[in-house]
Amino acid sequence: MRARIAHGALRLLPLFLVLAAWQLAFAFGWLPKWLLPAPSAVASAFKALVLSGELASNTAASLARAGIGFAVAVIVGIGLGVLMARVRAIELAIEPILLLIYPVPKPALIPLFMIWLGIGNFSKIAVIALACLLPVVVATFNGARSVDPVLLWSARARGTSEHRLLWRVVLPAALPQIAAGVRTAIAIAIIVLVSSEFISSESGLGFLIFSYGGVGADDAMLAVVLYLAFLGYLLDRLYVAGLRRIMSWHAFAH
Amino acid sequence: MPSPTERSRLSTALTRVVPVAVVLLAWEFVTRAEFVNPNVFPPVSEILLRWVTLVADGTTFTPLAGTLWRALAGLLAAIAVGVPLGLLMGRARWAEWFFEPLFSFAFPLPKIALIPLYVNWFGLFSLSKVMLIFTDCLFPIVLFTYHGARGMSPIHQWSAQARGTGPVRMLWRVVLPLSLASIYDGVQVAVVVAVLVAVVSEMVSGGSGLGYMMIRAYRYGDVRTAFATLLTISLIGFALYKLAQWLRGRLLHWYVAEA
Repeated sequence: MRARIAHGALRLLPLFLVLAAWQLAFAFGWLPKWLLPAPSAVASAFKALVLSGELASNTAASLARAGIGFAVAVIVGIGLGVLMARVRAIELAIEPILLLIYPVPKPALIPLFMIWLGIGNFSKIAVIALACLLPVVVATFNGARSVDPVLLWSARARGTSEHRLLWRVVLPAALPQIAAGVRTAIAIAIIVLVSSEFISSESGLGFLIFSYGGVGADDAMLAVVLYLAFLGYLLDRLYVAGLRRIMSWHAFAH
Repeated sequence: MPSPTERSRLSTALTRVVPVAVVLLAWEFVTRAEFVNPNVFPPVSEILLRWVTLVADGTTFTPLAGTLWRALAGLLAAIAVGVPLGLLMGRARWAEWFFEPLFSFAFPLPKIALIPLYVNWFGLFSLSKVMLIFTDCLFPIVLFTYHGARGMSPIHQWSAQARGTGPVRMLWRVVLPLSLASIYDGVQVAVVVAVLVAVVSEMVSGGSGLGYMMIRAYRYGDVRTAFATLLTISLIGFALYKLAQWLRGRLLHWYVAEA
């Protein structure tokens, strides 16, 4: 335990060194204010953002967009991936569509979706869902396809129905690959979210960064940028911790 | 008479191409039948026609060149800085101790969020975009190089040391060649990132390039141009990726993965 804390502290030390150098450079007047605000200024801007409730309301707006898009992608993606792996006709119908969408950089779809669905939440959620869908479908498809046939045979030999087979054998066996695809989708959701909020929006963390940056309030802007980085890190850690609990039977080593 | 391998290659190509063609034809017929407004979802043929027109009259060329040079400049700068840094992190304890936490903590940040800061620092024009592409590409290149250099078998190092190889020569002549495959994996990831970030930065801060061309098409409600530009963006992303893959075969043909 003590060794772990010491190790963690040693890992954090470079971050503190950079922060200290940044603050010191500011104190000595080596860093002009227009270039970069002092860490202390960023911290107090962060405090103001928290106290005014601005951060909470915009976090909620962003998380709602990203969360809905992501959830749709995970549900549809896993369903589609499993069906494609089990039903040849569905694979034949869906694969060419995926092949067409695959090489498109997803944030480049934002303007098209704005034409179709307007500049509100709907177009953002749709792009996020589409961007997150691909890694989930591909991972699920690969996972469900490579299920050990021995597992399928022995389940069938015991008279397991096809429906039950899907739920009790195919999905659990594909879970490690699905989990990796979903993890990629989390990172993609945040990138597409911020891009879409930069391009057009009246709320959300991307909007907050963009509007503070636009009026030259660099301390508040940096505070939101760092907060966003922390949020991304936290979501990934929470996901991995959750996975470890669910998949304690599997060596999901990270 | 085609050889069996040629024939099987042809048949796998056909199984890929035919379903895509079917989907495109279905798209064409559904939109031609005007189930949907063609100004919202135009037929494929009209999109392709617009694409050809935009290429033929030269409209595509300037934005394409702008996007391409910014993407490549950012990518090359990231390789020039990222490879030495990654090698150093992989071989020098102090560099690993200092840089590894910084890179892993900054990794989850969507680098696109830095656009307003970079605009303040580097202006509205190309420099801020190139710097953003550089920053975003730096991560895969540094991390892949670092893991490549760290995972190197110590036997090569010992034998080079036994011959009296100095530290700089060691990095250059032993560690770098042995990490090349891993570095190249990073470059292949970064190529895709470079095009993506170039386009998004143009959509956000405007100016020129394919991203801006799309935003302008959106403002005019011109779906055909938006689709055609999307096609160009996807094509250059795909072409650069394929080019990188082809170059890998040329540059790394001598490389045999260690068992």
